[in-house]
Amino acid sequence: MFKLTLEKEWLDAKRQGQLWWLCLIASLLLLLACTTGWQSYQSYQNDAKEVAQQEQKRWLNQGEKGPHSAAHYGIYVIKPALPFIAIDGGLQAFQGNIVRLEAHTRNDGLFRTIQDNLPIARFGSLTPAFVLQVLLPLLILLIGYPMFAAEKEQGTLKQTLASGVHPMQLFVAKCCVLFAIAFALLLPVMIYLFAISFEQGRVTTLVSRSAGLAGVYIGYVGLWSIVTVAISCLLQSTRRSLIVLLTLWAFSTLLVPKLAMNYSAAAHPLDSSQAFQSRLKREVYTEQRELALARFKQSLLQDYGVNSTNELPFDYAGARLQFGEQYADAIFDRLFGERLEQLQAQSNSYFLASLLSPMVAVQSLSMAFSASDFHHHQHFLAQAEQHRRMMQRVLNHNQRDNAHKRHGRYVANLELWQQIPKFEYHPPAFKALAHHYRVNWVGLILWLMTALLLGAIAVRKLTKEPLR
Amino acid sequence: MHTQPKRPVIQIDNLVKAFADQTVLQGLSLTVNQGEILALLGPNGAGKTTTINCLLGFLSPDKGRISVAGYCPQENAALVRQQLAYIPEQVALYPRLSGLENLAYFSKVAGVKVADSDFRALLEIVSLPNHAMDKPVSGYSKGMRQKVGIAIALAKKAKVLILDEPTSGLDPSASHEFSQLIQRLARQGVAILMATHDLFRAQEDAHRVAIINKGQLVDTLSYQQLQETQLEAHYLKHIKVGA
Repeated sequence: MFKLTLEKEWLDAKRQGQLWWLCLIASLLLLLACTTGWQSYQSYQNDAKEVAQQEQKRWLNQGEKGPHSAAHYGIYVIKPALPFIAIDGGLQAFQGNIVRLEAHTRNDGLFRTIQDNLPIARFGSLTPAFVLQVLLPLLILLIGYPMFAAEKEQGTLKQTLASGVHPMQLFVAKCCVLFAIAFALLLPVMIYLFAISFEQGRVTTLVSRSAGLAGVYIGYVGLWSIVTVAISCLLQSTRRSLIVLLTLWAFSTLLVPKLAMNYSAAAHPLDSSQAFQSRLKREVYTEQRELALARFKQSLLQDYGVNSTNELPFDYAGARLQFGEQYADAIFDRLFGERLEQLQAQSNSYFLASLLSPMVAVQSLSMAFSASDFHHHQHFLAQAEQHRRMMQRVLNHNQRDNAHKRHGRYVANLELWQQIPKFEYHPPAFKALAHHYRVNWVGLILWLMTALLLGAIAVRKLTKEPLR
Repeated sequence: MHTQPKRPVIQIDNLVKAFADQTVLQGLSLTVNQGEILALLGPNGAGKTTTINCLLGFLSPDKGRISVAGYCPQENAALVRQQLAYIPEQVALYPRLSGLENLAYFSKVAGVKVADSDFRALLEIVSLPNHAMDKPVSGYSKGMRQKVGIAIALAKKAKVLILDEPTSGLDPSASHEFSQLIQRLARQGVAILMATHDLFRAQEDAHRVAIINKGQLVDTLSYQQLQETQLEAHYLKHIKVGA
């Protein structure tokens, strides 16, 4: 009986002219968004590869110079992207994906992609994630709002139930039809996800991320399908059903995310980037630093039982530079740590809106699986900083160990530059950062449970008082 | 022309149903026997449709008992609905599906195991034009929809047929055709409850007539009495008395 009901629902749905138009429009939008997303990813990856190669070449070919000059010469590292950004670019364009690694300074990300965009880009861009998170629910509700309500108006619901169809079967069949239509649109995206996972070679990492992304979107589509059919079942007219569902959609996909964003920014305000950078300089270059350096010098003289730094068995300038780096690193850790806490508080505050809107939960999880969110970006910045510190340590130690032998005229060459390994960043396995997204998972699961509860209420109503 | 009534298939005993501000049924009792056509007459608001909704299990009575083909609709709605066919004033069919598809769907969901080719034969039996069978029902006249409704009842081999204003809006020819079809079902042993305002059809087709007003049974006329009575005058007398 279930199969029969499903076949009838499908036959009825596919003969709706509006269904094909809506699906065609959604498919075209998704195709356009995927094509644009793929091109952006390819272009970004090509740029990233080229920049990484050029920088490595520039570093190795810098010629002979003092190690500290090389430390100031610096190197730029770029965050590689996973192919999932073709689906969900997340914050990729809004974060600086290039970091300059140099002496004495911990730099933030530079060159946000959004800076290169035309002013018109501020009106929003069409990405597959936007289509899936915002437009697909709209499509689902536009197809599904009359599923029960119209049958009540036409009288076919009474006729169908009078034929002996179990309300639960009828409800599930309608949900399945709606889900199948939405899933048909989702399917090409999922094929793309798994295809790139296998094509890229890092199968384990990418497949698990693909499966996560697919699971999140399947849950989201299922949730909207159940909610749409349940609302249509609970209300008496197609007009009411459409109004309630549109209100729910606008609340969930437009209003809540915007309000949550504004609230998070207001509740956890951040210093501007310029203010933060000047604070960094103010807090590093202080009188305490001069005192710490003096104490360091004094302790070296005492430890080696000499009166002058020239008598030390190594180059004092190199040792002083490394001490200065470590002194600054502690301050960087504190200040960047505070800033990270503020950013995390903002992010967590926004994540809480997952309890009010399934779209916020899905948006956050989609960005997380695509490695294009705030937490993945912080992971990249932390890795870049570790690389910078290693680089400074190698250069400073080299100067410390060699410069005194050349009486202050020490220059290093390719041999030293080659000792600095190439920066290679791989986003972590999802589970390494999974703890950040607990509230989003809870939100999505609660929404799914709410949808099922709403479905159960609708079936109960259909069983007990189908005509009301 | 009329067969003798047999065992009761529909039994309504002292039915009471009230909505928020109004008691619609006040102790209504009725029976419809196997192979019998009972016409249920009454003015608007008399409680005809509420009675039907209780029989279909869509409403639960506040008091009283109902039995349809041996089952209580409120307790065994699915079983009851498999035994009966229901044809409302406007036969509700899926407008985008053809008559044939509607027939197949409504029959199969009721558990009928009929070959697809037999559905076409059933539509031929109820005289639905051949060219219309595969066309969407949205283009059907009311009479054509009624025929599909009857075909569903035939396919289901329903023991009970419930009709709510079945001839309202039909032209005399379609009404006559419809009458022939339900007579045929009655001869096959189907118990038919027909709620109607059409006194002519009631007198022509019914074995018995029950007149209700304000949720109460005010009179019943046997087949014999029907032949000897001016139904319209009788009906109006009861309605005026009740008013």
